[in-house]
Amino acid sequence: MRRRVVITGLGVVSAVGNSLPEFWNSLVEGREGTKEITVFDPSAYRTRIAAEVSHLGPEAHFSKKEIRRLSRCDRFGLIAFREAWKSAHLDQDSCDKDRAGVVLGAGSGGILSVEKYFRNLYREGKKSSPSLLISYSLATTTDHIAIESGLKGPRSTTATVCSSSCTSIGVAYEMIQMGLADVMVTGGSDSLCEVSYSGFSSLKLVDPESCKPFDKRRQGLVIGEGAGILILEELEHALRREAPIHAEFLGYGICADAYHLTAPEPNGEGVERVIRIALAHAGIRPEDVDTINAHGTATPFNDIAETRGIKRAFGERAKEIPISGIKSMIGHCLGSAGGIEAVATVMTLKTGIIPPTIHYEVPDPLCDLNYTPNRSMQRDVRIALSNSFAFGGNNACLAFGKFNPNSKCRMRNAE
Amino acid sequence: MQNAECGVRTYGGDSAIRNPWLPAGRRTPHSIMNDRVVITGLGVVSSIGVGREAFWENCLHGISGIKPVQRFDVSPYRSRWGAELPEIDFKAFIKPVNLRRMDRIGKIVVSAVRLALDDSGLDLKEANPSRIGISIGTGLGSSDTVDQFFRSLLKEGPTGAAPLLFQTAVPNAITSHCAIEYGIKGVNITFSHKESSTEMAMAFAYHLLREGKGDVILAGGGDELSEPLYHVYSMLGALSPGRGKGPEGMRPFSQDRNGIVLGEGSGILVLERLEHAKERGAKIYAEMAGIGLSGSTDGLLRYDLKGDSIARAMTSAAKELGTVDYISAAANSTPDLDRAEAFAIKQVFKKRTKEISVSSIKSMLGEFDGSGGIRACSVTFSLYYGMVPPTIGTSHLDPECDLNVVLGQSRKAEIRSALLNSCSNGGSNISLWFKRYDPEE
Repeated sequence: MRRRVVITGLGVVSAVGNSLPEFWNSLVEGREGTKEITVFDPSAYRTRIAAEVSHLGPEAHFSKKEIRRLSRCDRFGLIAFREAWKSAHLDQDSCDKDRAGVVLGAGSGGILSVEKYFRNLYREGKKSSPSLLISYSLATTTDHIAIESGLKGPRSTTATVCSSSCTSIGVAYEMIQMGLADVMVTGGSDSLCEVSYSGFSSLKLVDPESCKPFDKRRQGLVIGEGAGILILEELEHALRREAPIHAEFLGYGICADAYHLTAPEPNGEGVERVIRIALAHAGIRPEDVDTINAHGTATPFNDIAETRGIKRAFGERAKEIPISGIKSMIGHCLGSAGGIEAVATVMTLKTGIIPPTIHYEVPDPLCDLNYTPNRSMQRDVRIALSNSFAFGGNNACLAFGKFNPNSKCRMRNAE
Repeated sequence: MQNAECGVRTYGGDSAIRNPWLPAGRRTPHSIMNDRVVITGLGVVSSIGVGREAFWENCLHGISGIKPVQRFDVSPYRSRWGAELPEIDFKAFIKPVNLRRMDRIGKIVVSAVRLALDDSGLDLKEANPSRIGISIGTGLGSSDTVDQFFRSLLKEGPTGAAPLLFQTAVPNAITSHCAIEYGIKGVNITFSHKESSTEMAMAFAYHLLREGKGDVILAGGGDELSEPLYHVYSMLGALSPGRGKGPEGMRPFSQDRNGIVLGEGSGILVLERLEHAKERGAKIYAEMAGIGLSGSTDGLLRYDLKGDSIARAMTSAAKELGTVDYISAAANSTPDLDRAEAFAIKQVFKKRTKEISVSSIKSMLGEFDGSGGIRACSVTFSLYYGMVPPTIGTSHLDPECDLNVVLGQSRKAEIRSALLNSCSNGGSNISLWFKRYDPEE
């Protein structure tokens, strides 16, 4: 029998807020997090902006010794995790730690620290502290979280970069389905670093002004950073300890375009397929979907392919579904994008507010859906999807539903 | 649509949409599907042989892949050795149009996939591409490419950042290369969690197949030996000869071990739903029959110190503990891990411990995060041919590791089922359980 899985905790660090309430307020009000980069010197680049996290004050969260050992990515992950863990009341309630695990998605991980080490080595031939090298593995943030809270269940890290933390939520869900865990910490964390910035810059995918998803003037993405952590929990387990239930996780899909190393399949065939897989897995029909949190990177090709894919999956109804492109506010957080966007999707279900796509002014005839331009919208939202796509045509889609406490119905599986 | 009875929308129903994740014509919801999963193809690119025959023969003869490192200058380090791949003509395995876009690790893994697919006899033109998936684990992926990219960035500034290097530098580029080369459109996922990366990739693939979310999944992974990697391991004090006595070398479970020797390579399994394998009359090597995952929390660079987490992973993987005759150990010549694993095995198998053959083929391949694919291929061969490969280099067992370790020479043995263990520093422990394939079951 399939186990029902709900979301009982949420935590965020982002350019528009370092806690869930701050983050959500900013999204609802359409505030943008783009600013001049400070984590490295951007002066040599054509573009100098990113959605950087600020006012975090690591001293308030960590001891001096911890600060030395933790990369920027680890800090974001731990802060968001603590918020999520606390909001799920798991700091007070006891749970079997052998059956609680962590699966996060990673992008560049703590490479900012590794960059520092190798910069010193290659430029000056100087060997810095080996503690900077601990972040060489993408698994470091995942391990930090598990070790801090003593979680001894299944643990892994997905590494599909732009879709990593979206995929990781699917993997975490499967851990609960397999009966290996009751509680899973999932989502992802990522920090800005010069390697990924220069990489996207070299591919000419970075917009010099702002991120304008689906707008005709769009020139590319604005890189962001942060962490989005969700606590997935088996329903009976959550009910037993009277945990706060924010939404139900209904299903997910992962598939490949098998088309090109960086470009998406232009007709949106892969996007259509992944949405169909997620819907079928969740046991819902296209007409049940009330809103979509788009991947919406604002690169010329992605937005067209995604629009086409949504149209292929939903047909005529596609134009009625409000879509939000929150990367216009938080930037493209790479390894944590899917996690942060999943948090926003869950909040949409909880509050009925669909966050806007800001900077939307000039419609593009090739992107002709309802992108919730510039102002958030209040709706009765029962089922919401969140899309993430990555380099190499790696597609992922999550389906969440409003949790009905009075419902005794088990979800029926469609075929 | 509202359901009056409980006030919520019913999900699914008569007009349910076609599910690309379910086999054609299948009417059973996948939540109650419990397909058996079998191994129908093996691809190995290793330091002791490219291709399954060469690998298995050398493995049984206890040939070591460990030699002085050739690909880069190791003079700045205390260590000298590594298990490097031989020169490989990748043109023999990969289409020229795709080959020029791949970096070395991409080529290594795509070649292993080619070998595995050829071995399985799967006709990709006949198959439904949406029902063929790929699940890859890699600890550091393109570490060499990232390093090249970073060096030219430092030297020349932003103009030195090469777009082609960047797109192959992401860890999932390996998986994408495979998907593009073979037009595989099903599940596509990449894991990176230190030494348990590939085992996770196989575990996930196993679960998806059991639920019918695909017919075939290529699972495994690999890693390459690169200079930055050597540097990092050396700086973190993990490499042999470390601070210990004794010469440099890889000697799992040995009294005089003193750290690891790094290796490289890739191994891929063709995992397939039994029903699908039977339909196409595939050769079946063995069955994959269980997975166990657990975590330990002894420290970021520490293995499971007490072994209880490793024990939990083994118990949850092997549903019939009594049939386990062989364990391919994670032991990597690090005192902490060797002892914890030995302790865990004794804790799980109690009186039967001495009946179970144990070997660590890392003694021949060296240690690397993505070693699980090759080790899984070796376990599959062991079940198929009834042979256990040796642990080489070790002559005197650590008294705390008093297991039935197969030393020096391979051994003939009837193996009903076998466990493959993996333990990462930081504490992710995964065990995979493989069985001899029994068509009568």
